[in-house]
Amino acid sequence: MPRYAMVIDTRRCIGCHSCTAACKIHNELPDDMVYNPVTTVGPVGIFPNLSLSFLPLLCMHCDNPPCVDACPTQASQQREDGVVFVEDSKCVGCLSCIMACPYGARHHNHATGTVAKCDFCKHRLAIGKLPHCVATCHQKARIFGDLEDPESEVSKLVNGNRTVRLLSELDTQPSVFYIY
Amino acid sequence: MSKNVDLNQEGVQVKKSACYFCHQNCGVLAYVKDNKVLAIEGDPEFPTNQGGLCCRGNAALLHLDHPDRVNYPLKRVGKRGEGKWEKIPWQQAIDEIAARLQDIKQKFGPEAVATAGGTQRTDDWARRRFMNYFGSPNGFHNAHLCWIPTFMVETAIYGWCPFDLDIGNSRCLVLWGQNPGASGMPEMHHIKELQDKGLKVIVIDPRFTETAAKADLWLPLRPGSDLALALSWLHVIIYEGMADDDFLTNWCTGYEELAAHVVDFSPEWAAPLTWLTPEQIRAGAVMYATNKPGNIQWGTSVDQIGRPAGATMHARALLRAVTGNLDLPGGDLLTGPSKDFITDEEMEANDVLTAGQKAKQLGSDKFKMVTWPGYQRIADLTKKFWGKAPTAEWMCEAHPPSVFRAIISGEPYPVKALLVSATNPISSYGETKLVMEALRKVDFMIAHDYWMTPTASLADYVIPSAGALERPTITSSYGCADFLLASQRAIQPMYGRRNDYNFWRDLGLACGQQGNWPWETVEDAYFDKIKGLGYDAKTYDEFVENQRFHFPEREYSKYKERGFATPSGKVELYSSVLEELGYPPLPQYVGPTENEIDNPELAEKFPLVLTTGGGFMPFHHSEHFQITPLRYLNHSPYMDINPETAAKLSIQDGDWVWIETARGRIRQKANLTPGIDPRVVFTQRGWWYPERDMRDPVLGGCMESNANVLTTTADVDCDPFSGAWANRGLMCRVYKAEQAAEKEVC
Amino acid sequence: MSNKHQSWGWMLAVDFFFAGAGGGMLVLAALVELFGNSRMSLAGNLLGPAFMCIGCIFLIFELGKPFRAWRVFMNPKAILTVGAWTMSVAIATAFVYAAMALPAKAFPLNLLPFDPIVWRDWVWAGKLLAVVNLITGLVVATYPGVLLGRLKGRPFWTGPGIMALFLLSSLVTGTAAHYLCGFVTEAPSVVVWNALPGVFALLLMFQLVLWIGYLWIKQSGATENEAAAARRWTSGDRSLAGKGAFLFLGTLVPLVLALLPNPAAQAVAAALVLFGGVTMRLLVIKSGDDRTYLPGEKRYNLRLPNGDEAFLHKSAH
Ligand SMILES: Nc1nc2c(c(=O)[nH]1)N[C@H]1C(S)=C(S)[C@@H](COP(=O)(O)OP(=O)(O)OC[C@H]3O[C@@H](n4cnc5c(=O)[nH]c(N)nc54)[C@H](O)[C@@H]3O)O[C@H]1N2
Ligand SMILES: Nc1nc2c(c(=O)[nH]1)N[C@H]1C(S)=C(S)[C@@H](COP(=O)(O)OP(=O)(O)OC[C@H]3O[C@@H](n4cnc5c(=O)[nH]c(N)nc54)[C@H](O)[C@@H]3O)O[C@H]1N2
Ligand code: SF4
Ligand code: SF4
Ligand code: SF4
Ligand code: SF4
Ligand code: SF4
Ligand SMILES: [Mo]
Repeated sequence: MPRYAMVIDTRRCIGCHSCTAACKIHNELPDDMVYNPVTTVGPVGIFPNLSLSFLPLLCMHCDNPPCVDACPTQASQQREDGVVFVEDSKCVGCLSCIMACPYGARHHNHATGTVAKCDFCKHRLAIGKLPHCVATCHQKARIFGDLEDPESEVSKLVNGNRTVRLLSELDTQPSVFYIY
Repeated sequence: MSKNVDLNQEGVQVKKSACYFCHQNCGVLAYVKDNKVLAIEGDPEFPTNQGGLCCRGNAALLHLDHPDRVNYPLKRVGKRGEGKWEKIPWQQAIDEIAARLQDIKQKFGPEAVATAGGTQRTDDWARRRFMNYFGSPNGFHNAHLCWIPTFMVETAIYGWCPFDLDIGNSRCLVLWGQNPGASGMPEMHHIKELQDKGLKVIVIDPRFTETAAKADLWLPLRPGSDLALALSWLHVIIYEGMADDDFLTNWCTGYEELAAHVVDFSPEWAAPLTWLTPEQIRAGAVMYATNKPGNIQWGTSVDQIGRPAGATMHARALLRAVTGNLDLPGGDLLTGPSKDFITDEEMEANDVLTAGQKAKQLGSDKFKMVTWPGYQRIADLTKKFWGKAPTAEWMCEAHPPSVFRAIISGEPYPVKALLVSATNPISSYGETKLVMEALRKVDFMIAHDYWMTPTASLADYVIPSAGALERPTITSSYGCADFLLASQRAIQPMYGRRNDYNFWRDLGLACGQQGNWPWETVEDAYFDKIKGLGYDAKTYDEFVENQRFHFPEREYSKYKERGFATPSGKVELYSSVLEELGYPPLPQYVGPTENEIDNPELAEKFPLVLTTGGGFMPFHHSEHFQITPLRYLNHSPYMDINPETAAKLSIQDGDWVWIETARGRIRQKANLTPGIDPRVVFTQRGWWYPERDMRDPVLGGCMESNANVLTTTADVDCDPFSGAWANRGLMCRVYKAEQAAEKEVC
Repeated sequence: MSNKHQSWGWMLAVDFFFAGAGGGMLVLAALVELFGNSRMSLAGNLLGPAFMCIGCIFLIFELGKPFRAWRVFMNPKAILTVGAWTMSVAIATAFVYAAMALPAKAFPLNLLPFDPIVWRDWVWAGKLLAVVNLITGLVVATYPGVLLGRLKGRPFWTGPGIMALFLLSSLVTGTAAHYLCGFVTEAPSVVVWNALPGVFALLLMFQLVLWIGYLWIKQSGATENEAAAARRWTSGDRSLAGKGAFLFLGTLVPLVLALLPNPAAQAVAAALVLFGGVTMRLLVIKSGDDRTYLPGEKRYNLRLPNGDEAFLHKSAH
């Protein structure tokens, strides 16, 4: 069984929002929904001594996902390969999962009343393709793969110990790793 | 398009198409069934994007069948700008337009018909071919702002423009007013990868951009002061012993004159002009000169600084020469035009236009570099040397502001018809009030576009254009590269749309140009172009499917055998071609178009330095504002202002502010950022609001936030070489707007 | 639309209020039954589970998909599921318990040919139900606090403190509600009746101290996000409601009034306590809008459309 993970190399990211657009367009998200924003951090400092970086986000597919625990209906689930997703037909729209997710990765779909989120493009994984946001990133700042496979690029990067996880103090154990 | 479409179903074909939402022309794989595109993705085998696509590329299918697209020829039935249209058949539109053009030709001469274009929205040799056979020299684009003057000035000096970088072997890359982090994304990852291997990157940009943030050295100069910087780099390199003496003595003329010319242009001299410290200036020169081979990448900024533009291009070109970075491995390559395939110029029929008509080209008396006088001189030289000339469509054009003025005044002669194709001049040409007046005034106007743009709203006919998925594309840097990348159409044009090529061809046939248009389809023409390459392809599509690219073997230091395509056969540091045309043979210092030193009274009224434009995501000039998922990511215009300056003006982040120059004022929202000098502001370009009323006078709110309301095209503000006008390095003032832009909220 | 409404709304706060007060009433009634050998007023005993029912209704309307509400019983690991089950049991047992005091002659029982409340005189049943109600009441009174306290990404809530505050508030509001019910139907034994104002005064004192402590701890809290959330109560946009409506009008004033030996003043105090309870929950729920934002996220969200921009609602011109 694979264990999917993403490594985000912020040194490569140029904040172009292509990943955001690709996800919105190809996954046909409602106009007002963004699964994977890329935030701008900075410029920090005083002209001309500055630094600037970009932070691509998405659901962290936590190994210890508080959103799944919080869901009273079991609409929020985690697959064995780590993918956390919402089974729409079971969701009552109680928003507990939204409130439980520390990463802002869940979104109330005001049209349907249910909650939606990044599912690592599991429909693409099923046909052997990369998630849209990964495939479209011309800077190769988003790297996707299987942590169980020691030869995968993500394994090498994660085991190379140069990665960190967001809000690691919360013990959510994200499957999304960052290189700064 | 649907998330769940099965791409493996029977009958799905994968077409090797392209994106044309910018000149990068990223490779696209289109999944097609029954002339419908089911899905698209980046082509992993394409050398630039390598499977990636930017925001716009991803939106291709939303663009392809957007409900706001113009899908059939429209004929105006109400008053101009009233928004009343009648759908008419293609041939009727062509016939009526042709009849009108012939009538104007008869009464006022063919030169009374002008065409306006954008920059490489599509390849435009067919437009030139039409105009040449029609007899008018007055085709133009706003390409004056975008590489063309650079191409011509550099070609004058060393016989071609070194736009092809051998970046893989380079040790230093100067991004001079270029921001690939937002404007040339597919190219940016190469830079990052090479940086990891030791490539030094210098960014010369007043803003702390996506690219500057990753640079080894960032030089935030005063907008428009690039010339002072270039001159003092020349000074440092020559006087601090970093010049390539061997190259200079053997392959250049005029070294002594140049050295004498720049003796006073020390970093200390340039510092107050550029707002950089002498140390910063020196550090840049040293980094570039000592990390050889190195490149200076073209950026569009220098083309847009107005009066000092030509001299700046000249000085920048000399930097390559004094460091000996021309045509060597890892340097700036002088490939020349393609020897292998038929170039765009060869398909333009430039010989058909008579010398008498050429002489009538508007603006060619004032601005010689990219009009017939300069073009002819340079084309003769390159033909002699390379056997071919640069593309005339782009490199040899009427001066746009002069045409607009001729429309308004009838001087020096009347211009009665304007065929606007693949441009939205209200948004992207300079000094919008002038453009607007001309568009309202011109007797006859057609717009050939995807959308009912503000410009199209004022037209008599709107002709629907087919897009990148509906036509084949050849990418070859304005027809001047020695390589080409070929893509095929994914589907036949939808609805009543036609390719740009077919528009010009059909119009030509209707204007009596029978016999001059041997290629019925674009593919026919392109096949002609490439069939001499020796690949085993029987059709253009076959070439795309099997080959797709043609990259000739790179040859370095060709000059060692053949010299350069200049009168002397050497790099002419002291340029005889410029001198002949009446320009200074060495780059004379000229201050920024508007500046606090030369115009203190102006600076008192307009104390801040303005620079307009620079690519930003997810838009391309005036395009894509209709595509909701893209617009959602960036829904209103922002201008950059330093927090210190904003505080003095009581402006807070997100406030609507007015930006005003001597030409007018516009509204954008304030983006407070320390990434810009407190004395400088930057406005975004291209903004209009397709959600608003498209009828005159609202015209999609096209004056509201449009940076070009602020820019200047007065002859004295233009580059004397090329006539390029001034978008960057102007004087302005900024103050808080009491209201949001109209109808921002409905 | 827009990303700006991505958190719980006022109906959930109202649910928490009714459920909490109901739970508190059950706890109080059970304690009186078990240790005071007495009963609260019939109205009070009926109102407890009725409050919980009202809470449930608000909860259901808060849901994006009200018709699927039954699905909330599905995940035993989720606090909300635990709450839903407990509340259901509590409602049932509390009504069974309250029914013991329902006069057989009263409407609608008098229409029946027999007395359906066969357990009316089973003393042991009263005690047993009281034990159950004590437990379920405590759970219902506490679980909203537990729910919020476990949400790690909402700095104003995180930690066990909020649980104590909710339990306390449930007990105060429950006591107040019982007191007011004593005016509607026969009050419980004099001892209990006289003790109630004192009890809610005491609880209010705790509430005051605990809340001041809570805000102080949050404000000097571990993270900037916690501090910022708390500052909104003490000096920011929520300070009027927080300090004025809840802490002053809903806590301090009733504390003083409750100590006056005057049933009218005490009734006013009880009413104010209920008002304070709702206000507090509304504010607490609102305070959950502020997440632990990731770097750059706040500005990113600020720059997104509000939802009323014309381009989002374009009708063809
Ligand atoms: N102030 C300021 N002005 C600038 C700039 C700046 O930085 N600052 N930048 C300048 C630069 S670099 C450039 S390149 C120009 C760009 O200027 P233009 O190239 O004129 O760009 P647009 O104004 O967006 O107009 C392009 C129009 O062509 C249509 N179009 C696109 N593709 C096709 C096609 O294949 N066929 C047809 N028929 N129509 C098509 C689009 O829908 C759009 O309406 O603007 C210049 N203007
Ligand atoms: N997203 C996006 N990408 C685009 C386009 C687009 O519209 N949007 N347009 C395409 C086109 S047509 C072109 S030509 C290319 C252009 O792409 P680039 O050559 O990169 O040019 P710009 O992005 O226009 O401007 C680059 C930088 O010049 C800086 N600048 C402003 N004034 C000055 C100055 O006086 N001196 C110097 N040295 N720098 C200055 C700006 O801050 C800006 O960051 O981008 C292409 N790519
Ligand atoms: S597509 Fe890649 S480079 Fe662009 S914002 Fe997303 S992660 Fe960053
Ligand atoms: S990031 Fe949020 S939504 Fe995603 S798994 Fe973690 S807690 Fe759940
Ligand atoms: S909103 Fe839906 S997915 Fe989220 S916790 Fe409630 S039922 Fe589960
Ligand atoms: S993995 Fe798929 S769903 Fe998740 S952010 Fe990326 S594109 Fe969107
Ligand atoms: S618009 Fe984007 S995807 Fe299209 S060619 Fe340009 S960079 Fe490539
Ligand atoms: Mo351009």
